[in-house]
Amino acid sequence: MIPENIILSENKKELTLEYGATKSVMSAEFLRVNSPSAEVKGHSPAQKKTVSGKRAVSINSIELVGNYAIKLIFDDGHATGIYTWQYLKELFNGKDKIWKEYITELRKKGLNRD
Amino acid sequence: MSDIKTLAIEKLNELNPEYPELIEDIVVANKKIYLSLKTDKSKVDKFTKIKLQIENELAVIDGVDSVSVSLTSHSDAIQAKAIPQENASGVSEVRNIISVASGKGGVGKSTTSINLAIAINQLGFSVGLLDADVYGPSIPKLVGDRQKPKKSKAGKILPIKKYNISLMSIGFLVPEDSPMIWRGPMVISAVNQMLNDVEWGKLDYLVVDMPPGTGDVQLTMAQRVPMSGAVIVSTPQDLALIDARKGIEMFKKVNIPILGIIENMSTFICPNCKNESHIFGFEGAKLEANNQKVDFLGDIPLEIDLRECSDNGKPIILSKTDSVVSKKFLEIAKSVTKKVGDESSSSKPNIIIN
Repeated sequence: MIPENIILSENKKELTLEYGATKSVMSAEFLRVNSPSAEVKGHSPAQKKTVSGKRAVSINSIELVGNYAIKLIFDDGHATGIYTWQYLKELFNGKDKIWKEYITELRKKGLNRD
Repeated sequence: MSDIKTLAIEKLNELNPEYPELIEDIVVANKKIYLSLKTDKSKVDKFTKIKLQIENELAVIDGVDSVSVSLTSHSDAIQAKAIPQENASGVSEVRNIISVASGKGGVGKSTTSINLAIAINQLGFSVGLLDADVYGPSIPKLVGDRQKPKKSKAGKILPIKKYNISLMSIGFLVPEDSPMIWRGPMVISAVNQMLNDVEWGKLDYLVVDMPPGTGDVQLTMAQRVPMSGAVIVSTPQDLALIDARKGIEMFKKVNIPILGIIENMSTFICPNCKNESHIFGFEGAKLEANNQKVDFLGDIPLEIDLRECSDNGKPIILSKTDSVVSKKFLEIAKSVTKKVGDESSSSKPNIIIN
């Protein structure tokens, strides 16, 4: 469950997690709009916010949190998301589905990625 | 369009043979030239002039409506960096941090912590003990010492040295009877201070005596320091085991290995008739360890000696070395250090930033 390597791309827009032979690449935008922070997720599913306009977001820095997570600091100032190994794995496994749901959600609310 | 591009580059070469080398990117679209130039951050003034000059010169090329020159500087871009855990200066030279926890209060965490710390020291390791129970610090009483900690030259707090253990507790800083009437954020900053501002120095082990529960202190510890593992203390009583289970779940959530469960107050042997009574139930913690698939580290009987030594500020492991309890603590220390050695290979990701 713990990735061996966490690699931030040169343009700071892609995060690659390496689990042995499997690799997972996630965009900063994807990670930002799915931040596990209470600012995004709220305290219940009903409070979940749809974050829009993050196409250009990038990751400024990465912090280890204890043994169980990383904190991502985005260049839009968002720095409260603690991504546990488990959550990262969930994001990776459900990447396409989560992304489709997000795009649908944006359309429904008349929002966009820019 | 490509002609305009070629012309533009030639023009730049005419202006100054060095200019073409500065081109990062040049795009021509809809009669517009977009040019980006590498610049040196320290020579902003010079480059601002160059920018104007180039814009004017390129604008006269046939078929060009406008020119847009942008200056880019790489040292200017926000440098992404991997921030090492804020695990802060104070504990940076500590090899292993283990916490002694329980869900419930009053099961003997602090007594276990101090005896375990001394037992680990007797195995030949350098050991510190951090009393993270901010509301009810017990360590000063257990070691019979209330001296105020001194400051190092660097302005850091020096731990109290007693029984060959480096100790820190909020109890050394406030009078014994004065309560800490604090809200969460104060507690968090006190814990951070005991981690960051105390000069722990080089230690093989730092034992952390946790307060009961699964709250601010536990979460702060779990986030601020990479912990090697946790030892759960419980009595065999169901009531205590329910909370111990919560403690175990919490550590699992934050990925801290459970080193095992210690059953405290397991039996009582009457000093007069030698009859054994299971005051808090029989082998409850052992069964729980089995259910939770974690190791059972040992049982500590309820003994008057243990209580007396604790109240007198001289831990039993030092004052009654031949007692059953002391031997048990040594055994537990052996299992704990062995398990930590096995677990420390557990991976930690490399953070690579290009």
